[in-house]
Amino acid sequence: MSSILPTVYNVRKRHHVYHELTVWSRGIIMDKEARDVSSCVAAAARALGLYADNVSDYIDDPDRTNCLVRRYARFGDSPIVDRFVYENPHPDWVVLVEETIIKAVNFLRGTPDRGGVVVVNSVRDPQYLLKFLPDEMKAKIAKFVVVDAVGLAEQRGKSPWMFVRNLSELALDRMSTEGAEERLAIGLGIAAPLIGALTAATGVLPLDAVADQVADRDALLRGAQQHTVVDFTASAGTPTDGSAPDGSAAGPVPVTHAAPTG
Amino acid sequence: MSVRGTRIPPHLQLPIAGVTPPPTEKEGQRLFPTGNFRFFRPVYRDKTPPCNNACPTGEQIQKYLDYVKHDRYLDGYLTIMQDNPMPSVTGRVCYHPCETACNRAEHDEPIGIRSVERFLGDYGLALTDDPVKPALPPLNGTTVAIVGSGPAGLACAYHLRRRGYASVIFEALDKPGGMLRAGIPHWHLPEEILDAEIAKLTGLGGIEIRCGVRAGSDISWDELRAYPATFLALGQDVGRRLPVEGIESRGVTGALEFLREVGLGRPVQVGRQVLVIGGGNTASDAARSAIRLGGGEATIVSLEAEDELLIVAEDLEQAREEGVAFSPTTSLVRVLAEDGHVTGAVLCDARLAKEADGSVRPEMVPGTEREVACDSIMIAIGQVQQLAWLPDHLSDRGVITADQHGRVEGNVFVGGDVMRGPSMVVDALGDGKRAARDIDRVLIAEELGPEPEVEVMPYAGLNAAYFRHAPRIDAPLTPAAERRRSQQVEVTLAYSREQAAAEADRCMSCGVCNGCDNCYIVCPDVSVMRDARENGAYTIRTTYCKGCLVCVQECPTGCLEKVPEMDFDDPGDVTRMETAFAPYDGAHAEQSAFTKQLIEETIAEYDAARKAPAGNGKTTSTPNADSGVRP
Repeated sequence: MSSILPTVYNVRKRHHVYHELTVWSRGIIMDKEARDVSSCVAAAARALGLYADNVSDYIDDPDRTNCLVRRYARFGDSPIVDRFVYENPHPDWVVLVEETIIKAVNFLRGTPDRGGVVVVNSVRDPQYLLKFLPDEMKAKIAKFVVVDAVGLAEQRGKSPWMFVRNLSELALDRMSTEGAEERLAIGLGIAAPLIGALTAATGVLPLDAVADQVADRDALLRGAQQHTVVDFTASAGTPTDGSAPDGSAAGPVPVTHAAPTG
Repeated sequence: MSVRGTRIPPHLQLPIAGVTPPPTEKEGQRLFPTGNFRFFRPVYRDKTPPCNNACPTGEQIQKYLDYVKHDRYLDGYLTIMQDNPMPSVTGRVCYHPCETACNRAEHDEPIGIRSVERFLGDYGLALTDDPVKPALPPLNGTTVAIVGSGPAGLACAYHLRRRGYASVIFEALDKPGGMLRAGIPHWHLPEEILDAEIAKLTGLGGIEIRCGVRAGSDISWDELRAYPATFLALGQDVGRRLPVEGIESRGVTGALEFLREVGLGRPVQVGRQVLVIGGGNTASDAARSAIRLGGGEATIVSLEAEDELLIVAEDLEQAREEGVAFSPTTSLVRVLAEDGHVTGAVLCDARLAKEADGSVRPEMVPGTEREVACDSIMIAIGQVQQLAWLPDHLSDRGVITADQHGRVEGNVFVGGDVMRGPSMVVDALGDGKRAARDIDRVLIAEELGPEPEVEVMPYAGLNAAYFRHAPRIDAPLTPAAERRRSQQVEVTLAYSREQAAAEADRCMSCGVCNGCDNCYIVCPDVSVMRDARENGAYTIRTTYCKGCLVCVQECPTGCLEKVPEMDFDDPGDVTRMETAFAPYDGAHAEQSAFTKQLIEETIAEYDAARKAPAGNGKTTSTPNADSGVRP
């Protein structure tokens, strides 16, 4: 079987780069934002010479308003062979485009222990959001990133959310949501700071390379600079051990800091 | 919904995959919770209807109208009695701030709340046994002193009794009732109704009324203060004097004094041409009583213009029907008298000039003086109270001064007209209720807190599309000609049972759930649960509600609100989708590996079967030979 694989497979295998990004959002009204996040990450990886996929989900009914939908991207230094399985079985990067999703599902199923980077679009305190996660979900998180993407995006009208701004535009956007060509530039609005925070917090892809794929470069950089990280790996002694080695408090005590990583 | 690809959680697993417990079983009834993925959660939160907010006694008007709708008159009566001890009185004489505030006025016409209240009050009076009495707590041994048996004093005594306190009421006149008897004419409030309401209160046990005891002369300030607590509700029964020439002539009386004599059933002389000086409700009542007693004419002479009169609209209309004449923007200059008896008056044009500080002062127009003939003049330009018996620092220009709780000093409280100046019966009833609550607090050494904040439901918050337009049923009136003949004929008549129910049916239940079932019906996700058809007895199944907000949109009363889901901070009430969205879990990926394995096993079996020796009639002995795969 190996004869049908491209030769580059063997060349790049030594790096062992492979990430799965799952973006959670809501049907129609917030679909464009989620799509842009996965598209830009996949495009940036591909531009860097990596293998990348960017898949939309059909089961999740993206044409139903408010229904939970996901967009997937995955990239690595080796070809992605399992092309017909489009759900990410082991997402290690998770983006929640809207904060309520934190209560809705187990978005960390399949994520390796202490291996997940979760980016949430919210103005709330990270500890308030973490309160809703059970211990088994927290055990999978390496970094919990909260970014006020609505505040950092380009402000238009009442809100940078597309569905707040213009319902007729959203009706046309619905066509691209269901597979038609994109009407608007990719990486606009709320998606840009989300991509920035994700790129900065994961540190895998160079920020410049990602920014090249995004329409609103400034908002991306704002997101990359202004977000809050709760680092679970910093305070926990080992990735699987939740006890705090500094003895400041019992149980897993995440360290909160504003991360001006650029 | 297809269950293919669904990962069945342990509590649902049965021997046959995909067959789930039937809904008759407990586990079958909690299939596929859709969890907390909504933006907003619908929440039942009752607001205060504007009628309830406007009523000084805080009557739960929406609630008793709802009872009347459903023919539950006793429940309705008991609901009123929680706040107002005398619905038969207020149902006749109240100036109904509730109807003025009613949201229905923006829809079509306000609801005839007062008439429904009167209906319920009379229903309660007609009962042979007082339904309030059995529910009262036993007396706790403390007796509170109350000065004045007007509405404020009676309400205070009643609400104290509901809290277990006895009270003794000191009344200066020889009959109880205060202004209800000595200020309100019988054609407004029949004497037998007032007597019955007072008898109802004294029949509760623990309320003693001592008539003929005037505070200051018959009982001193120090004696009053010696009680554990005291409520001063003296009212204002001294009419203001008008400093004009001839005012001392016979035939010139205070309107208040006139009404008191009539109310107490004493003989009164009234002329056939009466001038009533003043532009308020007392002037109107006096003029209308004078017409009934003297059989002549009455003219209301007021500084106010016709549209500025302080007479309640319906009284004004009734007064006109009965033939009361009006002389607006007019002032009395002097009284003309012969042999010490009034024969006429000199009037002139005047107007009320507004000062910068908001007060008003009469401004006469020189050269417009004219003489009119009359044989009686009544002065109704305001009232005060004689308070010289009180320490000086406690009274100010005819009213007793108090803090925002109505507290004079120590355990002495004040309410009614003697605190707020001339005002409505229902204001006094509300003061009595508040005073009883506050007296209870000070006697058990609790802090007097501020009044709780209320959120009043505006008309804009209702779903007006649900309410069809229905005209108000006006209370029937006695014909004007008949009214003019007697002091005893009641002007406003009662609703019939059908009218009361129809009028109560118009209530829109502003901001308060009245169990209309609309949310229950419209919910597309069967997430609204109803235990009993009773006010507010719905619950939202938050494990299934998807936050579509159809219930909030369609709630006629506006008691359902949307609250951001993230504002609910209890981690314990988070339910995550498990089964219905199992494809989210990467189940497809897992299944593909499983399917791959199945195929490989099948191929292996097939190969094994092919390799076995054939043609000798023997079958293979592989363990999976019966798995359905045949060579």
